[in-house]
Amino acid sequence: MRLANLSFRYARRAPWVLHEVGLDLAPGTIAEVTGRNGAGKSTLLRLLAGTTPPTRGHVTGRPPVVGYAPEIFPVEQPFTVAAYLARMAGVRGLTPAAIDPWVERLGMAALLEVPLGDLSKGSAHKVGLAQALLAPPGLLILDEPFSGLDAQARAELPAIMEEVVATGGIVVVSDHQNGLAGHRGVLRLHVGDRTVRPLGHDAPSDTLSTAAGALSPPTASTSTPSPRVASADAFPTPAATADAPSPPATLSPSPSVTPAGAPSPPVAPAGVPSGAMGAATVVIEIAVEAGEAEAVVRKLRADGYPAVVRPLPHAGSEAR
Amino acid sequence: MRATVSLTQFKIATYVRSHRVLHPFAGLLAIMIVLYSVRVAPGTELSSYADSAALLVPVFAWAARGLLDAEPDVQRLISATAAGRPGREVAGGLAASAAVNAVLAALALAVPLAIGFTGTPGAVVLLGGLALHVLSLVTGTALGALTSRPILPDPGVSALALLGGYVAMLLVSLAPIAWLTVPIIGWMRAAGRPGFLGGHLPELAVITAFWCALALAAYIRLRRTRP
Repeated sequence: MRLANLSFRYARRAPWVLHEVGLDLAPGTIAEVTGRNGAGKSTLLRLLAGTTPPTRGHVTGRPPVVGYAPEIFPVEQPFTVAAYLARMAGVRGLTPAAIDPWVERLGMAALLEVPLGDLSKGSAHKVGLAQALLAPPGLLILDEPFSGLDAQARAELPAIMEEVVATGGIVVVSDHQNGLAGHRGVLRLHVGDRTVRPLGHDAPSDTLSTAAGALSPPTASTSTPSPRVASADAFPTPAATADAPSPPATLSPSPSVTPAGAPSPPVAPAGVPSGAMGAATVVIEIAVEAGEAEAVVRKLRADGYPAVVRPLPHAGSEAR
Repeated sequence: MRATVSLTQFKIATYVRSHRVLHPFAGLLAIMIVLYSVRVAPGTELSSYADSAALLVPVFAWAARGLLDAEPDVQRLISATAAGRPGREVAGGLAASAAVNAVLAALALAVPLAIGFTGTPGAVVLLGGLALHVLSLVTGTALGALTSRPILPDPGVSALALLGGYVAMLLVSLAPIAWLTVPIIGWMRAAGRPGFLGGHLPELAVITAFWCALALAAYIRLRRTRP
C-alpha cells in the first residue's frame, strides 16, 4: 500500500494538514502513528482507510477489506450491541454468527442486549473494535484502540493485530496510550509539521517472525524535514528504563536547573546521541516521582519526543 | 449491491427507531387534512393530486434530510469502510430516503381514494397522480440531500436552505420560462388542462428530471470531500 505525494486540507484556502506525504506500507506491517493533538493523526488514518479522499496525491494498493475503529465510537444510535453488530455484519455480507468470536475474545457477552446509548466508554470502544474485525481485514485502522479498554481486551488487542499481519494484512494504530509499548516489530510513524516521518522500525518479535515470516521493512519519505525527529533506535522502551528506585525531591522545568543537587545536564542525554537531533534541539530535564516516570515517558514518546529515563545520581530517577 | 441494500435497510431502521420519521408523517397528515377535509368534486381529482404533489415537496425533503442526518457522522465513516467504498454509503442514503418517501407518496395517493374523492377516478387520473408524486418525491429527495448535515452542518442554515429552496422553486416556476427550475407551479397548471398525460407531462418530467439529476450529481460530488 502506497501513499504518493499525498496532501490534505479541509478547504481550498485552509492550511495543509498533511503536505506531500509519501509512505509505503508493506503487507505484514504494524505501524504506530504518534504526534501531538491536532497534528493530523486521525486525518492520516481516515485517508489510509479511504473514507476521506486526499486533496492531492493518491493512495494505491489499499486492500479491499478495511476495518476502521474510530477513536470515539458513536453510541447515539437506536440499537442494542447485538443488533448493531448484526447489521454491520450484514453490510459486510456476513451472517450474524460472525460476531460470536469477537464477543468472546473482547469480553462482550454481557453487553449484547445493552442499548448502545447505555454503554460505558470502554464498552462502546469494544463495539467499535468488534465491527472493524467482523471480516478479516487486509487493512486494520485503529484510532486510539487502547483507550478505556479493560485488562482482557487490552491484552487481547496486540494478539489480534498479530493475527492480521500474519495473514499479510496491514495494521495502522494511533496510540496515545502507548498500548504497544515493548511490542517489537512495530514501525513508528510521527505526524507533525504537516508531514509523516518514520521514527524507526523495531526488530520483529519472535511471534511476528514465526507467524508472518520476515516482515518487509516499510519505508516512508516526505518532502518537509522535521527538526524534532530522531531515530527511535535511540529510544529505550519505558519498560526497560523506568524502573527507578526512589523519588527525586523537585520538579525542574528549566534545562539550566538541576534538581536535588544533581550535576549539570549534558548537551544530549544518556541514550540519545547528540547526532540524532537537529541543531535547534534543546534538552529539558524534568524530575518526577519514580512511580510516575514510566507514564510521563510514555506521554512524551507518544507526542514524538525522544524521552528517556535516567536515575539521578543521589536522588532517584529523571524522565527526559 | 448487497452492501448497499444492507446499508439502506440499516439507515431506514436507524431513522424509524429514532422516531424522526414522525415529523414528515405529521406534515403529510396536515396536508391531507387541508386538501381533503372537503370532498373533491368529480373531474377535479387530478388537480387535487397536483396540489398534493406540489405541497409535499418540502415534506419529502424534510424526510430525506432527517433520514440522512439520523446517524452520527462517525457512523458514516464506519459504514463506508464496511460497505467497501464511500460511494456505496452515499447510494445507500439516497435509496433509503427514496424508499421512505415512496411510502409517504403511496399514502398521499391512497388517502383521497378512501376519504377525499367523491368517486373512484379513472386510470388516467391515477397514472397522472402517480407521475406527479414521483416527480415530487425525486425533487424533495434531492432538496433534502443537498441540505443534509454533511453538506450544511449548521441545522439552522440547513432548515432555512430547505424552506428557502422550496419557496425559490415556487416563485421561479411562476415565470413563463419553464426551464428555469423544477416547474412546481407548472405541474399544478398543467394538471387542470385536458390531455395532461400525453401532452404536458413528458415535458414537465424532463425538466424536473434534469434539475433533480443536477442536484443529485452535486450532492454526490460534494459528498466526495464531505464524508
